[in-house]
Amino acid sequence: MTDRKIVVPGELLTDQRKKLGEHVFVDEGMVYADSLGLAEQDSDGVRVIPLQGRYMPQAEDLIVGIIAREEFSGYIVDINSFYYSFVRKDNLRKPLEKGTVISAKITSVNEINEAELDQIRVFYDGEVLDVSPVKVPRIIGKKGSMLEVLTKGTGSSIMAGRNGRVWIKDGNTALLKKAIKKIEDEAHLSNLTVRITEFIEREKKQALKAK
Amino acid sequence: MAEEMTYVNSDGLRLDGRKVDELREIKITPSVLSRAEGSCYMEWGQNKVLVGVYGPREALPQHIQDPTKALVSFIYRMATFSVSERKNPRPGRREIEISKVCGEALEAAIFLERFPNTTIDIYTHIFDSNAGTRVTALAAAAVALADAGIPMKDMVSSCAVGRAGGNIVLDLNKYEEDAPDAVDMPMAIMPRKKEVVLLQMDGLMEKKQWFEAFNLGVQGCMSVYEMQKDALKKRYLEIEKDAMQEIEKAGAKMDKAAKEGEPQ
Repeated sequence: MTDRKIVVPGELLTDQRKKLGEHVFVDEGMVYADSLGLAEQDSDGVRVIPLQGRYMPQAEDLIVGIIAREEFSGYIVDINSFYYSFVRKDNLRKPLEKGTVISAKITSVNEINEAELDQIRVFYDGEVLDVSPVKVPRIIGKKGSMLEVLTKGTGSSIMAGRNGRVWIKDGNTALLKKAIKKIEDEAHLSNLTVRITEFIEREKKQALKAK
Repeated sequence: MAEEMTYVNSDGLRLDGRKVDELREIKITPSVLSRAEGSCYMEWGQNKVLVGVYGPREALPQHIQDPTKALVSFIYRMATFSVSERKNPRPGRREIEISKVCGEALEAAIFLERFPNTTIDIYTHIFDSNAGTRVTALAAAAVALADAGIPMKDMVSSCAVGRAGGNIVLDLNKYEEDAPDAVDMPMAIMPRKKEVVLLQMDGLMEKKQWFEAFNLGVQGCMSVYEMQKDALKKRYLEIEKDAMQEIEKAGAKMDKAAKEGEPQ
């Protein structure tokens, strides 16, 4: 049984030896939380899911970036992290314009958190939403379950980047924005997918009634 | 002023009706600024402080960057209207000193080495003051840092302790600070290990009295810590409560629908 509770930095999680997850640290054999978050603990592991915080680039992350400027051999991309990243022109088929939305995979991150990008995909039209980076996993859901609910419910195309940017296009974007706001607000609660499904249905019914 | 003022009366009460080991009323509201990464508004008695945390973000100009750790820039400013006579808005000797000591106190708590070449900017503004603004600013800054999701070894809790009219009192107000024999000792600790991160003292004290004051101060910091914790958790617990009510409502609706469906 996993035990969940809200913790503040420096709060004691356990005095037993357990597998350490993210956002915990060990001091004199005790395990403490290092940020404000939701502590999850079971018989063998302990971790803290943060409720706030900036995006820390990590290898294998899929991110949504925006072209900031062009240089001779490539483009400078704003990835909502500490630094801009660089995309070489020979990885691209067509030249890009400033402000173009792209998605990319981070191949590696160095010791000062600069990220290298690969697998560039370009997105046309649509809009980009800014969300809290720590809440993106909830927007994606377990194996993409939440994304499925959102795309089916609103008929939009969605690309959720781990860096806190969500690209959306077509469909009922107003409802989608409402749903994403709700996910962000209630990210620390369980059974969220079920609740969002209900929420989208309810909103749709209300919209029908208003007509 | 009367020759001999009594700072603690025969009932053990102070000028403003507090006991010797009682703090002023403290109100903490995190997340008040939408453009800041983390923020906090705090009222501590008459003191009113607003704190905004920005970062970690790239430190500029480049030559101030440290590739081994993040920098903390703590800025303490008093509004011109925060004191009875207009304060010159230019940062003075006192404000620069407070910015330095409070920044260093927070540096001890933050995992700086995780954010190389960056800076964490903490802006604290005092809107109203009545003794003890630096501890108010520091306690509020710790809450704002946690609210920004910055990884920390521990919170930082602070309070002032001192002497007025021969009595050791917790959390002095302006009258007590102006007593002829006053000693004012602002302090901050990291509550987990009770490690001291800020300790200053104005005035002279005997060794025995100092230890008495110090222990009282630690006690005060611990009660501030509890309030900081509660304030940070409160928002999320409230959302949880609302969501639970929503679920119950939906459940009741379903029960009702099921009951109505039964006769058919």
